[in-house]
Amino acid sequence: MTPQSTKTDAPRTPEVTIPPADHLVGKNCKRVDGREKVTGLAMYGADLFPQAADLFAKVVRSEEAHADIVKIDTSAALAVGGVLGVYTHADVGGTNIHGLIRRDHPALAEKRVRYRGDAIAVVVAESERSAEAARDRVHVEYSPLPVVATMEEALSDGAPRLYPEGNIMGDKRIRRGDVDAALAAAHCVVTDTFHTQTVDHAFLDVEAGTGIWDGHTLTLNAPGQWVHEERRLIALALGIPVEQVRIIQPVTGGAFGGREDISIQIYLGLAALKHPGKTIGLRYDRAESMRARHKRHALKIEYTLAADREGTLTAARITVHSDEGAYASTGIAVMRKAASHATGPYRVPAIEVDVYGVHTNNNPTGAMRGFGACQMAIAYEGMMDRLADALEMDRVALRKRNMIVPGDPVTTGQRIDNASVHECLDAALAKFNERPYPGNDGLPPHLRRGWGMSAICFGLGYGDGFPDCSRARVEINPDGGATVYTGGVEVGQGLLNTMMQIAGEELGLPFEKMHVVAADTELTDESGSSSATRQTYFTGNAVRIAASELREQILDVAGKWLNVHPHEVTLQQGWAFETANDANRVSMARLYDEGLARGYSFKATGLFKPRTVPEVHGTGQSPRAFITYLFGAHVSQVLVDIETGEVKVERHIAAHDVGKAINPQSVEGQIVGGVAQGLGMALMEEVVYKKGRILNAGFTDYIIPTIKDLPPVEAIIIEHDDPGGPFGAHGVGEPPLIGAVPAILSAIYDATGVAPDTLPVTPERMWRLLRMRDGVPVPV
Amino acid sequence: MPSALAPLPDDIPLTRITCTINGEQVVADAPVDCTLLTFLRDIVGLTGTKGACLEGECGSCTVLIDGKPVTSCLMLAGQVNGRTITTVEGLADGDALDVIQEKFVETGAAQCGYCTPGLIMSARALLNDNPSISESELLTALEGNICRCTGYASIVEAVRRAHRELKS
Repeated sequence: MTPQSTKTDAPRTPEVTIPPADHLVGKNCKRVDGREKVTGLAMYGADLFPQAADLFAKVVRSEEAHADIVKIDTSAALAVGGVLGVYTHADVGGTNIHGLIRRDHPALAEKRVRYRGDAIAVVVAESERSAEAARDRVHVEYSPLPVVATMEEALSDGAPRLYPEGNIMGDKRIRRGDVDAALAAAHCVVTDTFHTQTVDHAFLDVEAGTGIWDGHTLTLNAPGQWVHEERRLIALALGIPVEQVRIIQPVTGGAFGGREDISIQIYLGLAALKHPGKTIGLRYDRAESMRARHKRHALKIEYTLAADREGTLTAARITVHSDEGAYASTGIAVMRKAASHATGPYRVPAIEVDVYGVHTNNNPTGAMRGFGACQMAIAYEGMMDRLADALEMDRVALRKRNMIVPGDPVTTGQRIDNASVHECLDAALAKFNERPYPGNDGLPPHLRRGWGMSAICFGLGYGDGFPDCSRARVEINPDGGATVYTGGVEVGQGLLNTMMQIAGEELGLPFEKMHVVAADTELTDESGSSSATRQTYFTGNAVRIAASELREQILDVAGKWLNVHPHEVTLQQGWAFETANDANRVSMARLYDEGLARGYSFKATGLFKPRTVPEVHGTGQSPRAFITYLFGAHVSQVLVDIETGEVKVERHIAAHDVGKAINPQSVEGQIVGGVAQGLGMALMEEVVYKKGRILNAGFTDYIIPTIKDLPPVEAIIIEHDDPGGPFGAHGVGEPPLIGAVPAILSAIYDATGVAPDTLPVTPERMWRLLRMRDGVPVPV
Repeated sequence: MPSALAPLPDDIPLTRITCTINGEQVVADAPVDCTLLTFLRDIVGLTGTKGACLEGECGSCTVLIDGKPVTSCLMLAGQVNGRTITTVEGLADGDALDVIQEKFVETGAAQCGYCTPGLIMSARALLNDNPSISESELLTALEGNICRCTGYASIVEAVRRAHRELKS
């Protein structure tokens, strides 16, 4: 077909005016999933149930935190009406093991249980009630072993060995400069020990989904954070080829790292394989969700920081012990993240860091927003306040004296070109000073006000040489719109809009013409996990690469059609036109037909796989430990009731350099939401264990912030193009939480003169600290 | 075995529930221990109402009974006999969203969206009753609804905008 023959039957001068260019990058396009979410039509895992499930599964969990399994008696369970099967490890066809970094966690326990959430059996029944009744009637005979409840117990002489190699799961070290010499020569040395707590993700949408085995494909509709990795883990554990597993992510209500470890998937898969052709439903309730899932690591951080007379930092010596719980989960990565962020955004010439992971019989600890980095920020920012006091120096001046500038190294020795921490802190302080600080004048005597700050950095992506890549596909549709296919998982953060807006910007299409298909292992290519603040940067780049190749195809075809050089073609609002003469134009829908007729696919794929450099074993040094760094600074103002110990956050300002805000509303949502979770971690949230049993596995006792706990958070978006990011964007997911906690603690210190070192700062803890400050006896 | 065992399925008798849901009369049988939340989701099939904590703490399961907001996880289905229930599915008029829903979309108040139906119902009850509300009344009305994603700012803004629009 010649160009002339197709051109003659198309109108050359349409009546409509081409709307002005509307850049999707930087625009608050309404969330593509907004409408279904506000009408209740969005289908989360648990919503797939009542209509779809033929059979129902439930999981039998260990009643012991540490025990050998002597016998599993399923007879009473099988006698319950409607029960079709009770399955144990003996029924699992594959390795029966999962684990994101080390494969060490039996899907169904074989000989031993290591925490009180370990799964032992899966019950399948015709109704959920039958399944529940049967679950409670599986009789497991245990031979109890001593429970290692705390890190102190695990490290004590003669402690029971939880694994043959002992109770230390692993270590991670940083060595740079001569710390001994620097400490000996220092003018001022401050030392303190911080205890951060175990935190639960507390996403609202508890684990739930469906699964079916049709004899060829095992299809699971189950929420995770990395569908392609989950597919591999499920296939290995269950012993079926990975190609025969399909994971489809339902609408997902939050994750925050809590869906990184496998949850319901293997149990659903096992039940489905045993009952071919039947759709299996499985859902946890809140208590089971909290009892089964991994948690944020509780860290004990011993920190020594030294400075010269002027307040220039000279050395840091840091020892960290991390409660890893029963299994490895992502603990190795968390330890490494803690080590690599140990001195934050500060220049410290001599650094020694030793991080030890310690096994206990608590829940496994793994991914949660800001893992490792967030605990260390509490310590390094806490130390800056203590050092400022010891030096009788201004807190801001001390920080600014030591904060890195472009070209300076962070803990890993990596030199940071885009260091914008000074600007973040300046912006946060300027915002704070826009309104007069009310101070303590006129307050009743039981109330004390204070303000504090934090400055933080964050390495984006997996880093450390770990393969980290995203893939994407973009296709032009017959109507001239486009569809983005990404393996990336939307968990609420706004990934779908981000990818649609990036592709739409590149292709000159209006948002309404954009579509997205995400996180279906059958339809989309692997894009890594929705974690490590990586999706905007990694998958955003892959989408942009695919879309720009597609753009080239469109320009080729449009150039022919318009009879101009492709460089003289503008793509705008679904039209291609001659840049100097927009009357010479063609719609994308028409171009689609033309392109196909000319043999163009109008499909393109993108792969983004930048390399980081592994940190040297023993020193933790690397010229490129992370692909890029993010910076932020917070200012918080609190009111402390010194009679009750209650802390109220009155103001909170969060400034973050996000590179470029693809969708400013989503970015602001991440910042404000991160501050809320940080406030929870600072003041109220803690998973409390007693001998491995969680005492507060529910929202009645596990307290998370409500609308009345949050002040109006003032978010400041700073945009310095990241040279490696799509349209200059990098990411924002984790840093807002990391910055929030130390700023609140800093404000408490300012208000009371007491520097909290144990989290969360509950009213009781605060009250005790104040009494100790005043030398008043504290009841035990 | 756990100390408290889930009841055997045959131990639980059924009861007949007759009520009005989103303007339609519903007659259905439910186990006597069935909560309103389970009744709505699993028996009537209206899954817009969410369960999250299942102990009355998070507000995700909020629905209106005769116009008043309740946490449906704490009510038995038998308690709604003869009463009128509104769920999130009952707010939009065909394609036209309720003003609160519209503002939630506009401000980006639905991130993961799981708390959204409950929050919208709490806000609906507040705005139904009060042509004029103060900021503190607004916060108190939504205090029983937990959101883990947003930090609430976009939610407060959505309800404020809806309130302004309803007043004008």
